[in-house]
Amino acid sequence: MAAEEKALQKELGVFEQHKREWLLKHLGDFVVIADETVAGFYEDYESAFKAGLSRFGIQASFLVKQVWAEEPVYLIH
Amino acid sequence: MKLPFTPTTLFEQGPHLEILICATRIEVIEGRAVGLEFPEMSVRALVDTGASLTIINPQIAMNCKLKQTGRQKINAVGGEAGEFPEYAAAISFPGSQLPSLDTTRVVACPIIRQPFFSCLIGRDILRKWLFTYDGRSGEVEIGA
Repeated sequence: MAAEEKALQKELGVFEQHKREWLLKHLGDFVVIADETVAGFYEDYESAFKAGLSRFGIQASFLVKQVWAEEPVYLIH
Repeated sequence: MKLPFTPTTLFEQGPHLEILICATRIEVIEGRAVGLEFPEMSVRALVDTGASLTIINPQIAMNCKLKQTGRQKINAVGGEAGEFPEYAAAISFPGSQLPSLDTTRVVACPIIRQPFFSCLIGRDILRKWLFTYDGRSGEVEIGA
């Protein structure tokens, strides 16, 4: 498995674990997760990413993920 | 920003421009303070109204040391389909007045059907622009 595929597995697990509760209050927001720490919810990707850098530093890995009921599939034509 | 094409080159190649891709400004500034370098790359980008997200070739993410922030499901007609890594990047437009994008997400997916380009500018960036395409004259104009 490539490094990119292995990256952020734990964070994605945390997301899946909490997704149902987050859908009620944070639908469409971007959540920031590093390891098992949830750093907050933000209106857009840019704010979420900057918050992640501020909280965890530039050398840390963190997930920025939008809260959706179903994962969107983006089309490239 | 006016892009200089003839009707033929616009028809054959599509609307494209040179862009600079690098890690976000905060990463570059804070990285310098601790001895980390984030290289910048100049690449040719196609403005692609058929792409919902902005796509880069995976090598760019590696070379520029972009930070991965997740994965996205991509369905590419006639090419790769599946989950691909998503990164945070800064994109600027040298020689133009177009505002730089300090933090934008890009997805690293091999651009197979457009080997002439290393980036597809998708509708996530287009939603910030006024994009005018005149196929008769070859004039393309981008405003923010």
